[in-house]
Amino acid sequence: MNYPVWDLTTYGGGFLIALVAVVHVLVSHFAVGGGLFLITLEKKAYKDEDAGLLDYVKKHSKFFLLVSMVFGGLTGVGIWWTIALLNPAATSSLIHTFVFGWAAEWVFFVGEIVALFIYFYTFGKMDRNNHIIVGWIYFICAWMSLFLINGIIGYMLTPGAWIETHSFWSGFFNPTFWPSLVFRTGISLTLCGVFGFVTAAFLKDDNLRQKIMRTCAVWVAIPFALMVGGGWWYFLAIPEPAKTIILEKSPEVTNYLQLLTWAMPILFIASMIMAIRLPQSFQKVFCFVIVGIALIYFGAFEFIREGGRRPFIIYDHMYSNQVYVKDVPEIQKAGFLTSSKWARHKEVTDENLMDAGRDLFKFQCSACHSVNGPLNDIVPIVQKFDTVFGMDSMLNGLGKINNYMPHFMGTREERWALANYIVHGPDIRVVQEITQQETAQKKPAH
Amino acid sequence: MNPATLIPTPDAIPVPWGWFYILLMLTFLLHILVMNAMLGGGIIALISSFRGGEQNTLLSKEFGYKWPYTIAFAVNMGVAPLLFVQVLYGQFIYSSSILMAVWWFSIFGLLILAYYAAYIYDFKFEALGSLRIFVLEFSVLILLFVGFLFSNNMTLMLQPEKWQAYFTSGSGTLLNLSDPSLIPRYLHFVVGSVAVAGLFLALVGHYRFTKSSVDRDALISKGMGYFTYATVIQIFIGIWFLIALPKNIMMVFMGGSGYGTILLLIGIVLAFAALYFGYKQQVAMASVITLVTLVIMIFMRDLVRIAYLKPYFQLSDLTVQPEYSPMIFFLVVFAIGLALIGYMLKLAFGCRKEVTK
Ligand code: HEC
Repeated sequence: MNYPVWDLTTYGGGFLIALVAVVHVLVSHFAVGGGLFLITLEKKAYKDEDAGLLDYVKKHSKFFLLVSMVFGGLTGVGIWWTIALLNPAATSSLIHTFVFGWAAEWVFFVGEIVALFIYFYTFGKMDRNNHIIVGWIYFICAWMSLFLINGIIGYMLTPGAWIETHSFWSGFFNPTFWPSLVFRTGISLTLCGVFGFVTAAFLKDDNLRQKIMRTCAVWVAIPFALMVGGGWWYFLAIPEPAKTIILEKSPEVTNYLQLLTWAMPILFIASMIMAIRLPQSFQKVFCFVIVGIALIYFGAFEFIREGGRRPFIIYDHMYSNQVYVKDVPEIQKAGFLTSSKWARHKEVTDENLMDAGRDLFKFQCSACHSVNGPLNDIVPIVQKFDTVFGMDSMLNGLGKINNYMPHFMGTREERWALANYIVHGPDIRVVQEITQQETAQKKPAH
Repeated sequence: MNPATLIPTPDAIPVPWGWFYILLMLTFLLHILVMNAMLGGGIIALISSFRGGEQNTLLSKEFGYKWPYTIAFAVNMGVAPLLFVQVLYGQFIYSSSILMAVWWFSIFGLLILAYYAAYIYDFKFEALGSLRIFVLEFSVLILLFVGFLFSNNMTLMLQPEKWQAYFTSGSGTLLNLSDPSLIPRYLHFVVGSVAVAGLFLALVGHYRFTKSSVDRDALISKGMGYFTYATVIQIFIGIWFLIALPKNIMMVFMGGSGYGTILLLIGIVLAFAALYFGYKQQVAMASVITLVTLVIMIFMRDLVRIAYLKPYFQLSDLTVQPEYSPMIFFLVVFAIGLALIGYMLKLAFGCRKEVTK
C-alpha cells in the first residue's frame, strides 16, 4: 500500500466515480456519434436543398458544442481527476503502462476541439464540401479517442496476455477490445438519435419537426442492432470468473443486470414512439424521459462492467483496494499496516486497537464499502455479526465464497483489530454494549 | 517520522525520462500561454467593465468572443502536462492531491460553471445588460480560485514534510497556506497572465482578428498598456517570490548553480526589454521577447521543483522498462494531428477571406 486513502466514509465505496462516470459516459459517447449525425443530415439538407433541415443542423450543432465539448470534455477530465483521488495506484499504473496511448488520445482531443469550433463558427460561411470535410475530421478524431480509451478500459477487465508480456500492445488489443469497440460505436450512434429528439422537440415548424423525429428514430433503431450484437459478443468474450460474478455471485451486480435488461427494450420502444406524430407539448417532455432512460441504461452497463471486475481494479494485477496481487504473500507475512506507507500505526497494540482497525477498514475495505452511504453500505450487511469472534471468523473466510471481495490481507492481530473496529468502533458500531469477555480487548477509541 | 517514508514507490517508465521532460516543458508552455489569455483576459475584461466607456465596453465584448476558445484550449492544453507530470512525479502529485482532495475534486465542477458562464457572457452579451458584470465576475472569480488551488497543489507536492498533516485529518481539506512562497508564487502567475493577455488583445488588434466594432488602435494601445503595467508589477512580485523561497532554493538562482543564475539574469534582462517594447507599443517585438521569457521562466520553475525534491528524489531514479514502439506511434499521431489542424485552419482562414471580400 503506497498511497494515502481519502477518508470519505459516507461517499466511499466508489460513489464519486460512479457519479462522474455515468454522466460522462453518456455525453462522451454522444460526442462521438454526434459528428456523424451532423454531417449526414447536413449532406441530406444540401442534396434536397432543404433550408429548414439545414437550419436545424446548425442549431443542433450549437447544442452539440455546448453539451459535448463543455460538459463532455470537462467531465472527462473529471473522471481522471476522480480516479487519481480514489485509486492513485491504479491510475499511476494505467498512466505509466499506456502513457503514449493517453498522449495520442490527447492529440485527437485537440483535433476534435479545433474541428468542432471551426465546424460551428463557419456554418453557412464555408464552402459546403470543405465544411463537410471538417465535420468528417471531427468525427474521425472523436472516434479515434473512443478507439484509444476503449483499449485502456478493456485492459482493466481483461488484461489478457499483458499479465505475462507487460507489453503495451498486448494490453491494448486485449481480449475484449474488438467486441467492446463495436458495442461502444453502436452506443454512440444510438445516442445521436436520443439527443436529436431533444433539439428536434423544440422546433416550431410542425412538418419539419415530425420529419426530424422520424430521422432520429431511425438513428436509434439501426445502430441498436449494432449495440445489441456488439454487447452480446462483448459478453461472450468476458473470461470465466468475471462472467460468473456478473451472472450469479454478486447480488449488487445482478440487480444492475436486471435493470439493464429492462431498460434496453424500454429505450427502444420509447424512441419508436417518437416517430409517431404527437403533440409538441408531449414531445418536449418525453424527449427528456428518453434521455433519462438512456442514462439509466448506460449507468447500469457501467456498473456491471465495474462490478464484474471485482475484486480487482486491474484484473489479476491489482485489487480494488490498490494492493498488487504479487505483493500479497509479503503482506501476509509482514503485516498489512507495516506494508502501508500511510498507516498511522505500524503494529496493533491494545492501545491502538480501534485506530488500527479503522485504518485497516479505510485501506482495505473503503474502496468498495461506504459507511452509512448510498453505495454498498457496510453498516446493514454487518449487523448480523454481533460479536468480535463472529466478525473475525467472517473476515477469515472473506473472499472465499463471496469471491467478489479480496480476502483479508494481514496478520491475525490485524484481523482482530478490524473485527473489533467493525463491531464496536464509533463509525459502524454493531454492538454498543461491550461483553465481559471482550472487555480485555477493548480500549477507548481516540 | 521521516517524511521520505511516506513517498510512494514510483512505477517504471517506458522510455528514458528526458523524453517526458521535453514533452512536459513543451506542453506546459502551450498550456500557460492559453491559460494566461483566458485568466488575464477575464481580469482585463472585468477591469474594463468597471472603467466603462465605449472602447472599454467594446474591449470586454471583443474578449467575450474569444473567451470560450481560451477556456476550451486552456483545459485541453492542460491535460497533456498533467499527464506527463504524473509520469515523472506521480508519487508526489497523487499524494498531495489526496491531502487536498475536497478542493482538488471541486476543480472540474467549478470549471464547468465558469465555462458556461463564459458562454452566456459571449452569446448574450447585449441581452444581459447590467447583469453582464456579475456573470463576468462569477467566472473570473472561479478561474482565480482554481488557479489558487493549482498553486497549492504544485507547492504541496514538493514538500513531503507537510504531508504528515494527513494523520490529523484524512478528509482531504488541507491547503498549503502556511508556505510563505505560496502567495507570491500565485500572484506571479496571475499578474503574468494579465501581461500576456494584454499582449494577446494587442495581437488580436494587430492582426485584425477583431469581431466586434472595437477600434483596432484603441485595442492595441490598451492591450499594450495592460502588458506594460503588469510587467512592472511582475518584476516586483518576482523579487518577492524569489526571497520567499527557502534559502537553499533561492541560492540556486543567486550563484548556487551556474545554470540557474544565468537563467535568472537572462530573465531580468528580458523583462526590462519587454518593458521597453511595451512602452513603445511594439507588439511583435514584445511578443517575441515575452515568449522567450516564458520559456526561461518555465525552466526556472522546474529548477525550483528539482531543488525542493532534491533530498527525496531525482528523475534519474526512475526505472526504465524500455518499450519504444508506443512512443513512435504517438509521434506519428502527433504529426498527423498537426497536419490535420493546419489543414483545417487553412480552410477556416480561407473562408474568412471570402466573407470579408
Ligand atoms: C472489491 C470490492 C470489495 C472490497 C475491497 C471489500 N468488499 Fe465487502 N463486499 C463487496 C460486495 C460487492 C459485497 C456484496 C454487497 C451486497 O451483498 O449487496 C460485499 C459484502 C460484504 C459483506 C457481507 C457478506 C455476506 O455474505 O453477507 C461483508 C461482511 C463485507 N463485505 C465486509 C468487507 C470487509 C470487512 C472488507 C475489507 C476487508 C471488504 N468487505 C472489502 C465488495 C467488496
